[in-house]
Amino acid sequence: MNTLLILLGNLLSSISRFFNLGSGSTWPGHIALSLNPNFIQQILNKNNLRIILIAGTNGKTTTGKLIQAILEESGKKVFQNQAGANLLNGIASSLIFNSNLLGMIKKDFAIFEIDENTLPAILKEVISPDYIVILNLFRDQLDRYGEVNTISKKWGDSIQHLLPKTTLILNADDPQVAFLGKSRSNTLYFGINLQKNKNEKFQHASDSIYCPNCNAKLIYKITCFSHLGDWTCKECGYMHPQKTFISSPYYPLSGAYNEYNTNAATLLTQTLNLKKGKIIVSLKNFKPAFGRQEILKINGKKVQIFLSKNPTGFNESLKTITSLNAKNLLLLLNDRIPDGRDVSWIWDVDFEDFSSQFRNIVVSGDRAHDMGLRLKYAEFKKFKIEENLTKALTTTLRDMTNDETLYILATYSAMLDVRKILTGRKIL
Amino acid sequence: MKNYTLTIGWMYPELMSTYGDRGNIIVLKKRCKWRGIDVNIRKLNVGFNEKQLTACDMLFMGGAQDKQQEIIAGDLMKKRKELKKMIDDGIPGLFICGAYQFLGNYYKEANGTIINSLEIFDLFTENPGIGFSRQIGASAALVLNNKIIVGFENHGGRTYLGKKIKPFGKVIKGFGNNGKDQTEGAIYKNSFGTYFHGPILPKNPEFADYLIRLSLEKKYKKSPIYLSPLNDTLELQAHRLALNALKI
Repeated sequence: MNTLLILLGNLLSSISRFFNLGSGSTWPGHIALSLNPNFIQQILNKNNLRIILIAGTNGKTTTGKLIQAILEESGKKVFQNQAGANLLNGIASSLIFNSNLLGMIKKDFAIFEIDENTLPAILKEVISPDYIVILNLFRDQLDRYGEVNTISKKWGDSIQHLLPKTTLILNADDPQVAFLGKSRSNTLYFGINLQKNKNEKFQHASDSIYCPNCNAKLIYKITCFSHLGDWTCKECGYMHPQKTFISSPYYPLSGAYNEYNTNAATLLTQTLNLKKGKIIVSLKNFKPAFGRQEILKINGKKVQIFLSKNPTGFNESLKTITSLNAKNLLLLLNDRIPDGRDVSWIWDVDFEDFSSQFRNIVVSGDRAHDMGLRLKYAEFKKFKIEENLTKALTTTLRDMTNDETLYILATYSAMLDVRKILTGRKIL
Repeated sequence: MKNYTLTIGWMYPELMSTYGDRGNIIVLKKRCKWRGIDVNIRKLNVGFNEKQLTACDMLFMGGAQDKQQEIIAGDLMKKRKELKKMIDDGIPGLFICGAYQFLGNYYKEANGTIINSLEIFDLFTENPGIGFSRQIGASAALVLNNKIIVGFENHGGRTYLGKKIKPFGKVIKGFGNNGKDQTEGAIYKNSFGTYFHGPILPKNPEFADYLIRLSLEKKYKKSPIYLSPLNDTLELQAHRLALNALKI
């Protein structure tokens, strides 16, 4: 049965790519699971893979890619589900693409990034992982994912049933994430150097500043962004885990959020007794995943794309490009299914802090006018609204010099759209 | 409009503000500022003093998650008397989603548990429980003066109005209070409850101005007060596009 499903899946994927219908990264798995609901379990049981799951609102793809890079540099064979294909069907597809017809996978590690709502189902029915990395939990696409507390409660319930062999790797600075390891051994914590990344004020988009244990307001010694920081509960005494891994030998990508991603990856790979030198080399040679600070060139001009899909992600992208002295900005807001249909969240982004940073600003995407309105009320003095994406791109590029960089902050589907134009060289 | 000042009380900004509802405060603040009205946003977090509340000329409270609502519920009930007096006296207010539900007589949870509420608005809300999904999506309603409000709703509870309260609007697209009776939100005196996120005010600037005008008239005991006009081209364009997207 499974042989047939693998054969069929690979065939479908080839056809899909041949006719340019997309990479076919989810439907082979979808078909396999609908014909055999135990497909994932059966294939994984057959193979002696070490399994790493990565969950969290922001940073899954980058962290997965970092771990893969370090493992491969150390001579391990690794595969991952494709970025964004992080539901059960995407995982099943990745098994189909990487196994032979007998369902054998000649790899050492499987890395799966997992959608927030899929993690409980996966842990309950399908996978007993060696590692689970939980990066953070922020408000994100509330119309699709639901509320932060609902998600963390579901995660907590499913983590209780994990086998002791699973190592949990948690963000110590996120109170609700750290809480998942409260009564569990075999848990490791990562954070970042908070002194170096401290922020004077709380951002509005902070979701978990009340104690996950007793609901009292947390006291923060230092905050970094959103609700991340060094926190303590004066009421019940619950506090930030003490032993926290905070420094990698090298950070390939800008921004405090990427320090978290890098430290999570380094901490995990350190437990595997890999050579330190290999970790450094792989971090130094790291190339970002598509759309995640990816740099592209167009007509001799440098363009860097920052996927920014929720208030915290957007705030951190704005902060990061400001530290890079950005002057040219293209903001892309879509409201398709993968972006979330509700764009209310742009009012939780602290645009007010950046109103005089940029010289050349163009806004585009399906909801360009909503974004324009947001900028107006943040008192950005000068910006253009151009609904047509290609025109928006040409306009922004026209108004900058060759030695400058165009920074594009885009929601998920807008990021894919703009990348298609840029890599397809469709503009002149 | 140099001689006017307004204090807007923002109730529980740290906790009751998950769905971008802060945008309403930003819009009220800027639309006052651009007209030279001196505006002061007073953040009323858990444990605030009643006097800080009663000195406000307008109130605002947004929506949040269940856990956040649990945290503020106790504090809010302690302020019931003052809040009720202000609303009964006609101090203008805007209450979104969870805040709107709090103003009612009670909230009935899926398991039948009744949670007492502020009993200021004659309405109740119930969560129909498992098997019923949240009411989510872009929405529009026809309100006073034949204006159309556009926004986005996302709520699990279904609200039913009592006899002593009027709806804020009639549903054109979306679910409104309960998905059944075509009502959206509620109006009592000068206070408005609604399920509209989006947030509601940026794309409905006339409603924002209406709240500002009501607050000034109430404070300065003078009617009518005319607000100086602002350039709303962008706001109205965004409003029109939202209607287009809903095929209205």
